Amino acid sequence: MKKILLVDDEELVRNYVLRALSSRGWEISAVDNGAAALAMLGRKDFDAVICDLKMPDMRGEEVIKRIRAVFPAMKIIAITGSVSNSSTPLVPGVELEGFLIKHFGIDEIRNLMERVL
Amino acid sequence: MTNKARILVVDDEPQIAEMISVALQAHGYAVSVAYDGEQGVKRAGEEKFDLAIMDIQMPGMDGITALGEMKKIDPEIEVIIATGHGTMGTAIQSMRKGAFDYLHKPFEIKELLSVVGKALEKRKFNDITKAIFSTIKPEELLRVTIDSVTRILKAEESLLVLPDKDGRLRVAISEGLEEEAHLNSRLALCERMMGRLDGGAKSVILVDEPAKDKTFADLPGIGEIKCALFLPLMEENRTAGLININRTQEGEYFTEDDLQRAKIFGSLVNLALRNSNLYRQLQETQSQLIQAEKMSALGQLAGGLAHEINNPLSGILGLTQLVLENLPPASQNYTDLKDIEKAVFRCKKIIVSLLSFARQEKTHMEPVSINETIEETLTLCARQMELKSVRIARQFAQGLPMVNGDSQQLMQVFLNLFTNARDAMPEGGELTVETRLLKDPSGREMIMAAVSDTGTGIKPEILDSVFDPFFTTKPVGKGTGLGLSVCLGIINKHNGAIKARSRPGGGSTFTISLPV
Repeated sequence: MKKILLVDDEELVRNYVLRALSSRGWEISAVDNGAAALAMLGRKDFDAVICDLKMPDMRGEEVIKRIRAVFPAMKIIAITGSVSNSSTPLVPGVELEGFLIKHFGIDEIRNLMERVL
Repeated sequence: MTNKARILVVDDEPQIAEMISVALQAHGYAVSVAYDGEQGVKRAGEEKFDLAIMDIQMPGMDGITALGEMKKIDPEIEVIIATGHGTMGTAIQSMRKGAFDYLHKPFEIKELLSVVGKALEKRKFNDITKAIFSTIKPEELLRVTIDSVTRILKAEESLLVLPDKDGRLRVAISEGLEEEAHLNSRLALCERMMGRLDGGAKSVILVDEPAKDKTFADLPGIGEIKCALFLPLMEENRTAGLININRTQEGEYFTEDDLQRAKIFGSLVNLALRNSNLYRQLQETQSQLIQAEKMSALGQLAGGLAHEINNPLSGILGLTQLVLENLPPASQNYTDLKDIEKAVFRCKKIIVSLLSFARQEKTHMEPVSINETIEETLTLCARQMELKSVRIARQFAQGLPMVNGDSQQLMQVFLNLFTNARDAMPEGGELTVETRLLKDPSGREMIMAAVSDTGTGIKPEILDSVFDPFFTTKPVGKGTGLGLSVCLGIINKHNGAIKARSRPGGGSTFTISLPV
């Protein structure tokens, strides 16, 4: 069973993403901040991380950079409020496996994860 | 001012006061008498007089002091000083204090009447000047102008003609001309006169019996005009309009004095019109500034708001869809949740447009296909065009080279042009988008993209302003006046050019050229 870690400070988002993905047979864990995400990754193996870019404590970009540095093979998907310009990278210097624009529906995230994993 | 001028006579000798007042009354003036300086000043404070005739040597307050006091109470009153011991010294002193003129005693009634007439004339002019310059709203100004000129020049009829928005001369306002036929014949007369002026800067033109003048002889309905005066209204050194003042009474020709008055009046009106125009421009600038302020405040607000609303909306959407998965599609709950889902999509659309409005982007250059960019933009607004019955005609050249550009920004440019085109065709029409490969004069290859509409067109006088920031012809709240200036900015960053061509009623074409 593929394991996914969700990092988002918004409870509502965690709630539905968790249910949308677990009902499709993925094992999904969720945390609400970057530090917790890094700690979790140290304890347990994951195949993919879905990370919100806009979080109050550690910015999503920073979290993603650190994950990529430690786990080069990790599939990383970013959640963003808006795409300002499709041609500028969301996280400079990091090749992402995909991104989701808020507010994405459950089919969007399921299809994306299907493709990525 | 009423027709009957009000005059105050101040003299300590009752016989002289009596003589003056009888003479003036005989000529139709309303006269009051005071017998010393204090009394005179008191009367001037109680009642409004147009003119005072004041003796200089009086017991108690002398004439010169009384003159000063009177002017303090009523700065507009004209004062004629009468002096029996005619030294030049007192005369000069009184003039310095603001007297209109002075009379040496003993004076003849004829002399008195002449000075009184001149003083009242000056008073009348002052009143009119005041009226004209205190009126700043264009419509009222025209009324005041035409009323005043008819009165000053003792004419039976007058009219003011100005071009309408299509450049055709129209009667803006008239006096003493009620019948349509009369108005039309006068308008024709003015048109002919405007043509004859041809920009030549004359301040006043007199035509005696225009029906006998070969320039106007063929015009019908002007036979009753005995003499006609024309005052050109100038705007930036060209004749923008005309005031026509006519006398229709036999033998009542305009005198040299009348011409002089007309000339002064003409320059007054021209100044006042310019003031009024400046005032209008000021008001427009103000509302544009307010709009710009509103925009920037809205932009900041929108950015923050959109991000805040995004999270809860994501939750609503996701949870709604999760519940939907577990409901039979035939149930009422399913239908209701589908409505909620639709509502979220609507909110999403609003937020996306708010964000794009609030965003300040950096340019990101890459090879871009202009045809593709236009096609994508057309897809975005196809529905809107359909709703407004606008047909889209594509005339794309095939095999065009790529240009170096920011496709997002170029899309913004085209979206703007398409939206403007749509707004210019409220009744529907055709939007033509053409692309071509051209060579500029130096032989460089350029891609030209032209966006044409079949709409209302742009007036020639504002065609140069359409790219100015904050310039908009749309009502407040409809357009920001920034669309085309943003387009210009983007195209400039691409080392390209954007030009507007239009004629009223014949649609507009915006042409963009970008270097390959």
